[in-house]
Amino acid sequence: MMVEKKKTTTKKTETKKQEAKKVAPVKQEVKKQAAAPAPAAQNAVAAPGATTQKDARIGVFICHCGTNIAGSMDIQAVQDYAKTIPHVAYVDNYKYMCSMPGQTLIQKAVKENNLTGVVVAACTPRLHEPTFRTATKDAGLNPFRFEMANIRDQNSWVHMHDREGSTEKAKDAVRIAVAKAALLQDLFPKSVPVEPAAMVVGAGVAGMQASLDLAAAGIKTYLIESDMSIGGRMSQLDKTFPTLDCSQCILTPKMVDVGRSEKIELMTWSEVENVEGYIGNFEVTIKKKARGVMTPKEAAAKGIVGGGCNGCGDCDAVCPVIKPNVFEVGMKPRKAIYINHPQVVPLIYTIDFNACVKCGLCVTACGPEKRAIDLNMQDEFIKVKVGTVILATGYDIFPIENKQEWGYKRYENVITSLEFERLICASGPTGGHLVRPSDGQTPMRVAFVLCAGSRDNTGIGKPYCSRFCCMYSLKHAHQIVEKIPGCVPYIFYMDIRSFGKMYEEFYYRIQNEGAKFIRGRVANILEDPKTKNLHVYADDTLLDRPVDMEVDLVVLAAAIEPKADTNRTRKLFGVSCSQDGWLLEAHPKLNPCGTTTAGVFLAGVCQGPKDIPDTVAQAEGAASAASIPIHMGEVELEPYFAQCIEEKCAGCGMCVNLCPYSALSLVEKNGRTVMQVTEAKCKGCGTCGGFCPGGAIWMQHFATPQIVAQIDAFLLGGEE
Amino acid sequence: MSESKANHTFAFYLGCIAPNRYPGCESAAIKTCKKLGIDLVPLKGASCCPAPGAFGAIDLNVWYAMAARNLVLAEQMKMDIALLCNGCYKSIWEVNHKLKHNKDLRDGVNEVLKEIDMEYKGTCNVYHIAELLYNEKYVGVNKVRDSVVTPMTGARIAVHYGCHLTKPHKDREFEKSIMLNTEHPSWMEELVAAIGATPVEYRNKMQCCGAGGGVRGYDIVHSLDITNEKMINIMEAKADALTNICPFCQLQFDRGQIEIKEKFGISYDLPVLHFCELLGLAQGMSPQELGLDLHAISCEPFLQKVL
Ligand SMILES: Cc1cc2nc3c(=O)[nH]c(=O)nc-3n(C[C@H](O)[C@H](O)[C@H](O)COP(=O)(O)OP(=O)(O)OC[C@H]3O[C@@H](n4cnc5c(N)ncnc54)[C@H](O)[C@@H]3O)c2cc1C
Ligand code: SF4
Ligand code: SF4
Repeated sequence: MMVEKKKTTTKKTETKKQEAKKVAPVKQEVKKQAAAPAPAAQNAVAAPGATTQKDARIGVFICHCGTNIAGSMDIQAVQDYAKTIPHVAYVDNYKYMCSMPGQTLIQKAVKENNLTGVVVAACTPRLHEPTFRTATKDAGLNPFRFEMANIRDQNSWVHMHDREGSTEKAKDAVRIAVAKAALLQDLFPKSVPVEPAAMVVGAGVAGMQASLDLAAAGIKTYLIESDMSIGGRMSQLDKTFPTLDCSQCILTPKMVDVGRSEKIELMTWSEVENVEGYIGNFEVTIKKKARGVMTPKEAAAKGIVGGGCNGCGDCDAVCPVIKPNVFEVGMKPRKAIYINHPQVVPLIYTIDFNACVKCGLCVTACGPEKRAIDLNMQDEFIKVKVGTVILATGYDIFPIENKQEWGYKRYENVITSLEFERLICASGPTGGHLVRPSDGQTPMRVAFVLCAGSRDNTGIGKPYCSRFCCMYSLKHAHQIVEKIPGCVPYIFYMDIRSFGKMYEEFYYRIQNEGAKFIRGRVANILEDPKTKNLHVYADDTLLDRPVDMEVDLVVLAAAIEPKADTNRTRKLFGVSCSQDGWLLEAHPKLNPCGTTTAGVFLAGVCQGPKDIPDTVAQAEGAASAASIPIHMGEVELEPYFAQCIEEKCAGCGMCVNLCPYSALSLVEKNGRTVMQVTEAKCKGCGTCGGFCPGGAIWMQHFATPQIVAQIDAFLLGGEE
Repeated sequence: MSESKANHTFAFYLGCIAPNRYPGCESAAIKTCKKLGIDLVPLKGASCCPAPGAFGAIDLNVWYAMAARNLVLAEQMKMDIALLCNGCYKSIWEVNHKLKHNKDLRDGVNEVLKEIDMEYKGTCNVYHIAELLYNEKYVGVNKVRDSVVTPMTGARIAVHYGCHLTKPHKDREFEKSIMLNTEHPSWMEELVAAIGATPVEYRNKMQCCGAGGGVRGYDIVHSLDITNEKMINIMEAKADALTNICPFCQLQFDRGQIEIKEKFGISYDLPVLHFCELLGLAQGMSPQELGLDLHAISCEPFLQKVL
């Protein structure tokens, strides 16, 4: 193979020149650039039998996509036209080109008609480029000899009612694709080895499950958590619907497993600082925030034998600084040196340096043996190499005080569901007794406001459904009926979304337990200043009458939103988000764990609202997907690299600074300074190629002559 | 006290209730604005806005056309409109907004205006005076504070926002960018504090005055029932006076108290002042100059407290 490749070098350079001559000029400069000979490196990958434009024989295959395409244009007219395009040697159409018979059609036609390139006019490369590349390869051609014409998403779907217009547009699209196909070259993807380690960002139930799965598959996993302990939101919950098992009871064993696993390197109080590289070879810089307290391991490394934090809490007892405990949603105090709750993993205290007055009392209390506390600790930066990454950064609660009509933060007895979880939880601030914040009394009438800030098109709340609030509010209703005899839950809802396994049955159960359901959106809540009771105003849309309900406590099922720093995180990893801010999956149905960045996967609520069962399922999917490249040992990179045409390179180095991926450098070659591409780093963005003043950069698969041919095909309507 | 040099000029749209029932509102608006660098020039030839409840609820095309005519008068003066009534704001601001954004509607309205040789072009903007007072671009709370010569120290004042200025939230642009929220705003309280008075919170302050939407004209008892509920809540907060930014709300609270006395036998005797009137007092104008003697409920007890 290697020998053959070399043989073609000179021939290819010449043919390239000939091709370029054939290209009709658009502008003089473009023409000059287009005439550039392909670089030596370029030719090295061209296979024997590479065609010139002259002997290119292109097959065009037009897809009906059922009626998606055929319903909006005249396929026969497009086919008849395609036959007249230069270089087209074969034309056919079929109902579903992507199906087995469709693909067989391509293979047969290539062999029987000695085709050199394939054009499929159908949907989008995003959906089916891989499919048709494989078909092209199976037909015996290099897979990069395939070109797609998008006549569905950007044509029949948008011009559904303009049959004539869409037919003409399809003709253009086919002609443009053929122009490029005639100039396509054989390309060979490179394989790079994959670092046999993974990283998971965020240690909620999603991140924990993904890490445990990766570890079980024998993969070294770095689990990065920004908080001082793991567990995420689930560790704040009391019970879980619909089975009502205690959240702690099912989560803590997993937390312990994560802490104990030899394959998992858990880094709490840490954040991702920087990311470089690509699938198989991510180089991630992690910031270990100064925690002020050393683990036994860290103490040992400093020569303090038998030292480090053992979680005794002696420091906590003496610290004079009091702050609200965020884990308890501010309803319980903590010290400047603290743990979130008694069951934390890892059981290591942390100092909140924004609050600490550096009095040193904790250092003394900790004592000369453990010497765990270091008030001068600095942030540390650690670099690790991993092959794949899973993002599992979870969610925040929408600031529901922005919906001012419900009075959260104005009326003491209006709380959120998360506060409810802590108040009803045995390990919470009240030991599991639900009380009114205003007077500590047990409420006997509790209103639940569903869709609080969700499904809200006022511009203040969120347009989407937060997906688990219906179900947890039913759970809450059950919990108060169970714990407080005679207490009545009033549930104000739009519609109850009990969509999961055994969820509808749970809904019936709560109805039978005596919860009252009022179908209507709460318009306004007013406090009675004397009793601090609340009047809930709504329209009962089933009875068609206004409601003024006096209750003792209101629980707002507040919407959820992406974590505040989601944008920063996603940009580090080159991941997109959908318009509502949640991280964007590669395909909503067929690739819900992947992202458009190879090697980066998603798990849990960071991708969109979902309950624990769905979160865990996605986490297991992401772990499986993230382990595939690691188990394969190497990954193929798309061969869309930039190449330097060394004879033309002036060594000015401008492109080196422009490249957003640091893929370019200057090297000495034969006594000259020329640019060199690190292919594995190049993402083929084309920034350098578009810029180079000497036209010395060749973008594989998007080379100037290929693009000029497409433009000409469009502007000149196929005439030379 | 020197009057600051006028650096903003607006066509002043009076509406109906202010000049007919509370002429003090009109003079208060002109005089207080003058001191804050805003010249209010009469919008000559203006008609009723027309009232959103009376016209807008019955025949939208009449509502559009009449409001558009008022807008064209301002366009001809090459000025933006300032007004002092929430109802007028609803008609004139909203019709302007609709016509600017909807070509079909604009063409339809211009068809009608052609009969009187007018054409709506969409070149003017509409502002409520309260908005100008709060927005730093024109006046701002600090400048209001600086204009005070007789601070209303010790006066407990309840604030009534009214409905049409801030709702519907979705298309009220100024409110989103400057006044932030419609469900529990506090910018009027800031203005009240700026003249030295103490704004008081009361239950359900965003409730309607009871007059709007044609309710006053159609079902006076129901309308007064709403007003009465507001009065109970305001009295509970021990307010010395109620301030508002809409002559129609003012009418409902001021004359409404007399009607409540007649119909329900309850008397509150709570003075009701448009914010411009209140600001006039703080800027040292006399109660007569501000037409306070023309109110149905005597302002005397309040005046004795603050002057
Ligand atoms: C009141 C309430 C009750 C609920 N009840 C139930 C129930 O009964 N049953 C049920 O199935 N579901 C319930 N849920 C839903 C449940 O909480 C979620 O499905 C689940 O917690 C999602 O887990 P996660 O790991 O995706 O996200 P999270 O739990 O939010 O975990 C994300 C983790 O990532 C960390 N993190 C975030 N950003 C970064 C970063 N940049 N770097 C490092 N770490 C980061 C966070 O600190 C956190 O530890 C309830 C939710 C609420 C609000
Ligand atoms: S040094 Fe800081 S953490 Fe330690 S006891 Fe003092 S305030 Fe608390
Ligand atoms: S889950 Fe239920 S309460 Fe939550 S947003 Fe969706 S419909 Fe509303």
